[in-house]
Amino acid sequence: MVEVALGTALAAIGAGVAIGFAGLGSGIGQGIAAAGSVGAVAEDEDMFARGIIFTALPETQAIYGFLIAILLMVFTIMVPGKEVSAALGLVAIGAGAAIGFAGLGSGMGQGIAASSSVGSVVEDPDMFARGIIFTALPETQAIYGFLIAILLMVFGGLLGG
Amino acid sequence: MVEDISTLITGLGLPSGEAFLALVVVVLAIIGLIAVISAIRPVLSMYPYTYPLARVRARKGRLFTDKQYTELLESQTTEEVKNYLRGLPEYAKYIDEYPLEKALDSQLAETYDLIARIAPDNTKDPFIFLMKKWDIRNIKSIIIAKEAGLSEEETMNLVVPFGELSDKLNTLIDADSVDEILNNLEGTDYAPILEDSIPVYKETGILLPVEASLDKYLLENLLRTAATPEDDNTAYLHEYVGNLVDITNIKMILRAKADGLKYDDIEPYMVSDGYQIREWKLKDLMESEDVSGVVNGLEGTDYAPMLTESLTDYTETGSIQAFEKALDEHVSEVAQRISQKNQFGIGPMIGYLNKKENEIKNLKIIIRGKREQDLSASVIKEMLV
Repeated sequence: MVEVALGTALAAIGAGVAIGFAGLGSGIGQGIAAAGSVGAVAEDEDMFARGIIFTALPETQAIYGFLIAILLMVFTIMVPGKEVSAALGLVAIGAGAAIGFAGLGSGMGQGIAASSSVGSVVEDPDMFARGIIFTALPETQAIYGFLIAILLMVFGGLLGG
Repeated sequence: MVEDISTLITGLGLPSGEAFLALVVVVLAIIGLIAVISAIRPVLSMYPYTYPLARVRARKGRLFTDKQYTELLESQTTEEVKNYLRGLPEYAKYIDEYPLEKALDSQLAETYDLIARIAPDNTKDPFIFLMKKWDIRNIKSIIIAKEAGLSEEETMNLVVPFGELSDKLNTLIDADSVDEILNNLEGTDYAPILEDSIPVYKETGILLPVEASLDKYLLENLLRTAATPEDDNTAYLHEYVGNLVDITNIKMILRAKADGLKYDDIEPYMVSDGYQIREWKLKDLMESEDVSGVVNGLEGTDYAPMLTESLTDYTETGSIQAFEKALDEHVSEVAQRISQKNQFGIGPMIGYLNKKENEIKNLKIIIRGKREQDLSASVIKEMLV
């Protein structure tokens, strides 16, 4: 059986939380946006491209979570022979939780806004630009989470340490 | 730092780092679970509505605008109205196939059918039940046509090809008598209702008992299908359906009182219960002496203010049209309020259905104004809902 150091295991949890929760929020959000877009396309085939754009927006939270998870792994688990302290492991959990939970809320919120915007655009095509702006707003929470995760990793000694 | 962690682990009474790790995992899992459940619950209630709402909003965007009504009002003949509607995809397929009014009704029935098909499971039943409205309308039309001696082709122009009986329409139209229509309906929900009311019709020659018994069946059961609100969506649907039932009852009582009918005359045709106007209140209203007695009896309900305002019109004209218009406007207001309050649920579907009903009503007003009375555009415009 392979021996896993405590710090490494904690970093692994951090990476899992980062992509797991962010991906969950993004998936739910994207599902909501996609369901709305399918409804819009069923009524108006010209909505396909615009539906895809709105459906793609809640993807970003999963990308942030994925990036943080990859960074956590690259600087801890994937470095051969590197000993990760328990403290660093806890920093990794903090970073993962920051983007994970922020991405969860942001993704779901963005999905609802995207679905509603698709409905507005199919009702009135002039709503497209305004729909994009409203849908982009819930992105900010994911950006905050992403920034805090990066700062935790930089100043917690995981990046560049 | 390691010492601190060790102290923490020992302080927590844990035997090793692995145990601490397990504790961290469990705590994180619990926090995650709580966060996910509390965040997902409201979202999940919206999820079933995202697809239907997009479809409904697409159709809402295609409802007639004021500009379109103005263009239509400028038409000189019904043929021009027909040509105008031919340019709109939703109406075009019916306009070429059916007479104008049947085409409009078919479009409305198609809208009901769409809503019944796409409505989420917990709000589907009332919309499916509403499709019976077209069955009932078709049965009434066929019986009336049969009694008036209309040909099969003429009768076919009166029925709408939607509802549970759409496959049976030809058989029903082919029937030689009302009794044969009744035989052909054997095995449907309508047979027992008609078995009771057709003998009364045969005896008196008045079709009202047949019509009223079918309407009563529709409204009573419609209210029942929406009677157990489980969440906001079903509660709003119950409110809307309840208002429809109350308003049908009020209209019937007002009409009866304006015609001088007594309690016993109208009691058999009334829906036995309502939303705001419950059974005992209905009896009180039916026992009122006259129209103003009915209006006063409604004091304390949502319907009182608008009816009190219309009472002056009634006193001046003797027509209950003002009451009917006010009540119809009230239903529209309820639908639009629900549509705004419940934007991610059943609201926009109710709002759209009501707007579509009004659109069809308006198109029929325009067509009748042009065809039968040759009214000016401004006069017809004032009549629009």
